[in-house]
Amino acid sequence: MPPADLIFSAPATLADALGELAGGEDVIAMGGGTSVGLLLKNDLLQPRKIVWLARIPELRRLAASTAGELALGATVTLRELARSAAAGRQFPALAYAAGRVGNPRVRAVATVGGALAHSDARQDLPPILYALQATVRIQGPQGAREVPVAEFHTGFMETVLAEDELVTQVVIPAVAGRRAAYARFTPGSHDDYPTVSAAASIVRDGDGRITSAVLALGGVGRTPLLVPAASGLAGTVPGPHEVQAVAAAAEAAAEPYDDQRGSARYKKAMAGEWAARVLRACLDPGAPPVPDLVAG
Amino acid sequence: MKLSFTLNGEEVEVAAETGALLVDLIRDLGLTGTKEACGVGVCGLCTVLVDDLPVSSCLYLAACVDGADVWTVEGLARREPGLIQAFAEHEGMQCGICTPGQVVAAAALARENPGATEAEIREHQAGNLCRCTGYQTIAASVEAYLAAR
Repeated sequence: MPPADLIFSAPATLADALGELAGGEDVIAMGGGTSVGLLLKNDLLQPRKIVWLARIPELRRLAASTAGELALGATVTLRELARSAAAGRQFPALAYAAGRVGNPRVRAVATVGGALAHSDARQDLPPILYALQATVRIQGPQGAREVPVAEFHTGFMETVLAEDELVTQVVIPAVAGRRAAYARFTPGSHDDYPTVSAAASIVRDGDGRITSAVLALGGVGRTPLLVPAASGLAGTVPGPHEVQAVAAAAEAAAEPYDDQRGSARYKKAMAGEWAARVLRACLDPGAPPVPDLVAG
Repeated sequence: MKLSFTLNGEEVEVAAETGALLVDLIRDLGLTGTKEACGVGVCGLCTVLVDDLPVSSCLYLAACVDGADVWTVEGLARREPGLIQAFAEHEGMQCGICTPGQVVAAAALARENPGATEAEIREHQAGNLCRCTGYQTIAASVEAYLAAR
């Protein structure tokens, strides 16, 4: 259980929050508390102080620029992202991913920043943010920096964040002609973590030739995985053979473990299968709908 | 720490340990309709509304409700008599353990998506586990409640 003498702080400004975080490594930042609450309760975290970020207005902002870029403040909730008209219009696969995390109680409070900083590879948001090549804005006492989201996670519950740094914003760039897809494969209950998740994005020129292709997997490694082989699709007008080759590379890259959601062998096979499905969904807008997969 | 918030429509001011969880605070105030079962935010028995949104009170720090508007099953039963009526008429319960959470979740849905389809009702209530009914009568109860509002 949380210690009785825990200090709880709900600063109103980012500067105050950063000042409080500079107080040492037993000071932790909390967004919605869905993960922190669980870790506290099981004595896996024993902070002296919790700095709750949900009362900082500038972190609560969800802003779409006229150019189509979407800037998500760190404490925008997954519910807000899922229901955002701008997100639904420009990045439907991202809005879908946010709307499928856990259950409504989780989405009501869990935040975009927490979905990154918690760094559990089964989380829904990272793969689609990788596919959309989002940028993570970070702030600390030394100033601000930006990190491509695919370089943010370094291990299970480990990220590039220093103890005194915070994610302040996640920015999704507007890329003309890009189509992206996210799929979560959950053979168990609807609100479970995905056994395997996959996200892809593809940009094509006027001749149908690919100019950019990104593929990411969730749930099959210590961190979300980027599948570098997807970039090899650039310059091609891919057919089933090329898609299958990238799917095979995804299956080979996956390093899952056995658990109640499936054996490692099964998850590896599913990583390949769902990689192929998200790629096909990006390539062919007219393809028949696939359950648990949203593209656009 | 001292917390001021509204609980089921009434202003309350209570002293709580900083690390206290909302479920314990509520139950210590005598509102035992909210229950802790799984303790990890999965089963939904501890569902309460904080500023109209459902949260798992078993993982939610009580400190976070300072200044908030909190509703539990007791308050919602008074505020939304039709909801209780619908669960009674459609037998949306069997052993009754999950019922408080189902009711609070349904109240949240009524606000979030009052025209929810059956599929959306089932998806929404999926975070509230029931081991008796097979969910048919729960879905029917929520559907009837939304239709009658």
